[in-house]
Amino acid sequence: MSWETHIADATVEIFSTMLMMEVSSQPPLTERIKSHQDSVTGMVGMAGLYKGMLAIHAPSQVAMTITGNFLGLEVDSVNDDVKDAMGELANMLAGSIKAKLSDNSKDIQLSIPSAVCGDSYSLDYQPQQGSSMVPFESAGGRFLVELQLEQQT
Amino acid sequence: MDFAQAIIEATSDVFNTMVMLEAAPGMQATEKTTAFNDAISGILGFSGDIKGMLRINCPNQVAMAITGSLLGMEVEEIDDDVRDAIGEIANMIAGGLKIYFTRHNHIIELSIPTAIGGQSYTVHSLANAEWVAVPFTLAAGVMVVELQFVGLK
Repeated sequence: MSWETHIADATVEIFSTMLMMEVSSQPPLTERIKSHQDSVTGMVGMAGLYKGMLAIHAPSQVAMTITGNFLGLEVDSVNDDVKDAMGELANMLAGSIKAKLSDNSKDIQLSIPSAVCGDSYSLDYQPQQGSSMVPFESAGGRFLVELQLEQQT
Repeated sequence: MDFAQAIIEATSDVFNTMVMLEAAPGMQATEKTTAFNDAISGILGFSGDIKGMLRINCPNQVAMAITGSLLGMEVEEIDDDVRDAIGEIANMIAGGLKIYFTRHNHIIELSIPTAIGGQSYTVHSLANAEWVAVPFTLAAGVMVVELQFVGLK
């Protein structure tokens, strides 16, 4: 089973149906990027049959473009709308990936989304069974979708 | 259910039995702190009867003191050990909360911990989530343990 394919399919689908944005997936990164500069990260936890975390990382400029498309308004700073939109996007991506991982919707449950932003921050976690980071290109710029998953036995 | 009490019990248990450092709980916070400088936050999502996020926020000095005591060694800089330790502390506190909630007939499942750190970052959660935060005073400074959640009937 390829998590990268699930990430790519879910992201392309959600951007095209919810944000009316065409995005294309790039080959998964062989080494994850953990430091982010002038960026916004939306994240949501996954619990149950699979435990994990889904995150979407975008440079501030790209996050503003995404939010503008999402909400249909002009966005000129990283305000609460942008943080809410990135958190909600993480929530939608995780919801879509969760449906691809298991037919039973009760097997995986999502936490509430959260967002982090700033000039310079890093995200770390202990090595899990599976982790992948997929870059996407859009007209607004490049962003990353990251999934860490651990299947419960 | 008393969420502040849940935080105090779970955190004190981890500090008394695992970290072996005194962490004195203070009054429940009334104002959210969302911007951090030179700090590390351990974040963990959970779902089930209550959906939410646990976050522990530590200034770098506090994070290093906790890591040093947990691992029994001198810690002089923010390295992978510190990031792993703060994620693991979040995981252990979440485990304690899960037990507390279970005693009150609320079942939750945990996701995996992530450590966020940096010179300058802000954290953001859903506007409509409930929020409870308790500060703990250690010799090295103040750590704040926060819970954001929805769904409790």
